[in-house]
Amino acid sequence: MISRSSLLLLLTLTLSVLPAAAQTPGVSDTEIVIGGSNSFSGPLAFTGEQITKYGVDLYFRVINDAGGIHGRKVRTVYYDDAYRPQDAVANTKKLVEQDHVFAIIIPQGSPPVVATLDYLEENKVPLLFPYQSSPVTRGKRYVMQGMTLSDRSSKMMIDYLAGQRKVKKFAVLYQDDEYGKSFLTAFEKDLARYGLKLVAAESVKRGVTDVSAQVAKLQAAKPEVTFLVLVPGPGAQALKERQKIGWTDTIMVSTGPLTDERYLALAGDAAEGVEGLSLWPDPVNSDLPGVKLYREHMRRYFPQNEPNRYSIAGYFAAMLFAEGAKRAGRNLTRDSLMTALESFKGYETGILPPITIGRDHETQKQGFWVRVEKGNFRPMTDWLKSE
Amino acid sequence: MRHAALATGAAVVLGWPWAAPRYFVFLASLIAINAIVAIGLNLLSGYTNQLSFGHAGFLAIGAYAAAILTIRAPALPVPVTLLIAGLVTAAVGLALGVPCLRLEGLYLAMATLAFGFVVVEAILSLDWLTRGNDGLRVPAARLGPWMLSTDTSRYYLVMAVAALLIVAAVNISRTRTGRALLAVRESEIAAQASGIHLAAYKTLAFVVSAFYTGVAGGLFALVVGFLSPDSFDVFLSVDFVAMIIVGGLGSILGSVVGAAVITTLNDSLAGFQNYRPLIFGAILITSMLFMPGGIASALGKIAGARSRPSRQGDDR
Repeated sequence: MISRSSLLLLLTLTLSVLPAAAQTPGVSDTEIVIGGSNSFSGPLAFTGEQITKYGVDLYFRVINDAGGIHGRKVRTVYYDDAYRPQDAVANTKKLVEQDHVFAIIIPQGSPPVVATLDYLEENKVPLLFPYQSSPVTRGKRYVMQGMTLSDRSSKMMIDYLAGQRKVKKFAVLYQDDEYGKSFLTAFEKDLARYGLKLVAAESVKRGVTDVSAQVAKLQAAKPEVTFLVLVPGPGAQALKERQKIGWTDTIMVSTGPLTDERYLALAGDAAEGVEGLSLWPDPVNSDLPGVKLYREHMRRYFPQNEPNRYSIAGYFAAMLFAEGAKRAGRNLTRDSLMTALESFKGYETGILPPITIGRDHETQKQGFWVRVEKGNFRPMTDWLKSE
Repeated sequence: MRHAALATGAAVVLGWPWAAPRYFVFLASLIAINAIVAIGLNLLSGYTNQLSFGHAGFLAIGAYAAAILTIRAPALPVPVTLLIAGLVTAAVGLALGVPCLRLEGLYLAMATLAFGFVVVEAILSLDWLTRGNDGLRVPAARLGPWMLSTDTSRYYLVMAVAALLIVAAVNISRTRTGRALLAVRESEIAAQASGIHLAAYKTLAFVVSAFYTGVAGGLFALVVGFLSPDSFDVFLSVDFVAMIIVGGLGSILGSVVGAAVITTLNDSLAGFQNYRPLIFGAILITSMLFMPGGIASALGKIAGARSRPSRQGDDR
C-alpha cells in the first residue's frame, strides 16, 4: 500500500519537476539528458561505440564525478541506427519526443545525419558536432559543426602542397559519395586558384576493396601527389596496390577523415612515407596536456580500451558541450546553449588549438601535416589554417 | 462478434493520434507500411512458396519513384503518385518474375537476393536522378488542398492505404486466384493437373507482391522523408522475411501482426546498442521454436479454434 505521505511527496515532486521540464526538455534540477543515434552495428559500429561510450561518456563521467554542470549531472541516451537513415530518423524522433533530450550529440555519417537535419532544425533541437565532413550541414541555426569540413581541409592541403611545396600535378582517388565528391569539388576549386587542374580523378564505389584498376589508371597520369579520399579498408588497399606495382614516384596523401591508426595498421609497411592531413593530435603518443589527461581518464574509467581518434573526438565533443552548458549558466535553454557556444573565443582544450566558434558554427578549422615514419604519424608542420 | 472486433479496431486506428504520444503515431505509420510489405511478400512466399530476399529492392523502387514524382511533379495528388509507384514496381516485378519461374527454393532466394543488390547499385549509378549516395530529401506531398507535413496527416494517409490493400488482399485470398495460389504452394504438379496455369499464377504473385511493396515504398518515402541506398540494405529484406515467418506464412492477419512485432522489436531494441542483433536473433529463434506456424496460428490455437495440424492457410 502506498501511504498518503508518500503520495503527497510524489505529487510535490511531479509538480516541481513538471514546469522545468515544460520550459526546456531534458533539463531538470539535477540532470541534463542528451543523446544521439549512432552506429552500434553495421559498417561503422566500431567507430560509433568508441565515439559515444568511450568518448562522450568518458568525459561526462569525469564531469559528473566532479559534481556535474551547475549541479546537474549529464546523462546520455543512445540508439543504434546501423547506418540506416530511416532508423536514424526513428531514433532521433524517439530521442526528442519520448526521451525529451536537450540536444543531439555527435551522430555519425552523412546519410543518417542529413536524414534528421530538417526535423531537428524545425523542432529547434541543437545538433551538436555531427561526425561527418560534408558541408551540407552548414548554415543552420541549431547545428554546430564537428569535424573540419571538406572545403576547409582541401584549402589547407592545396595551400600547403601547391603553395609551399610547389607541387604541380595532382590526382585523386575518391569514394563515390557525398564524402568523396565534396572533397573532389573542393580540390578542383582550390587548384584553380593556383591555375592548376587535376591530372586524373578515379572513383571507388563504397564497400569495394579491389582498387587495382583505378590505381593503374592514376599511375599512367604521372601525378606528383595522389590524394586518397577513402575509408580505411580501400585506403589501405590502394597503398598495398601501389607497393605491389612498384609505383614510387608519387606521394600518397590521405585526407583528414582517413588519417587514422586503423588505416595505418591495415596498410602495414605499405604505409611508410605516406603523408596526410591530421585533424587530431596523436591520441597514443602526443604530449599535449589535454591528450595526456584524456589518456589518464581512459586508463581510470576504461582501462581495457585503447586510446584512439574516435574516442578522443567524442571526448572533445562532450568537453565543448560541457563548457557551453557551463557558460549558459544555471538557466540552461537550447537557445542559451547555442549563444554560449557561439561566444567561444580562444577556449583552451589542450587537445586542439584555442577554439573560437562564432557565427559560422564551425568548431574545427585546422589540421596539420603528418608523414608516416616507422609506423607512426610524425608531424611535419604546425597547425595549418583554413581562413 | 467479428463486426464488433472490426469496429473496435477501426476506432483504435482512427483515435490513435489523439490518444498516443507523437512518436507512436510515427511508429504506427512505420508498422502499417511494413504490414503492407509483409502482405505483399506473404502473397508471394506464403501463398506460392516463392521465397524472396529482395523485397528491400522493390521497396526502394517504389520509394524512389514516389520521391522523384513528388519532387518533379508536386501538383500530382498523393494517391496518383502512390499508384504510379506501385505500377512501376509491379512492372519490375513482372520483369523479375518471368525469368525466376525456372527457379525454386534456395536458387530463387539467391536470385532475389542478387536483385536487392542490383537495385542498390542502380540507385548509385543513376545519380543524376536519385542523387546516389548523397541521398534524396523528400518534400511534403499534397492531397488536394492539404499539405501532408505532420506525422498525424501522414498517419491517416498510410492507414487509409493500408486498409484498402488489406481488404483487397483478403478478397484475393478468397477468390479462385487465392485458392489457385495456395494450390501451387501445396503441390505444383497437383495444381497443374487441376487446370491451374502454373507460370501465369506464379508470375501474377510476383507482380501483385511487387505492387504492394511499391506502394509501401511510396509511403515509406513520404513518412521517413529521406532516402539513400543505405536505407535498403539486405538486412531490411531479411526483416521482411522475419515478419511473415513470425506472423505466419500464408496469413494476412499474420502479416500484420508480424510486421507490428518486428517493427516494435527493432525499435525498442535500438537502445541495447551493440547487443541489438544478438537479442533480436535470440527472440526470432525462440519464437520459431515455440510457434512454428507463426503468431497467427498460435493465436488461433489459444483461442480454442478448431485447429487442424496445418492451419497456415487461414486467411483471417
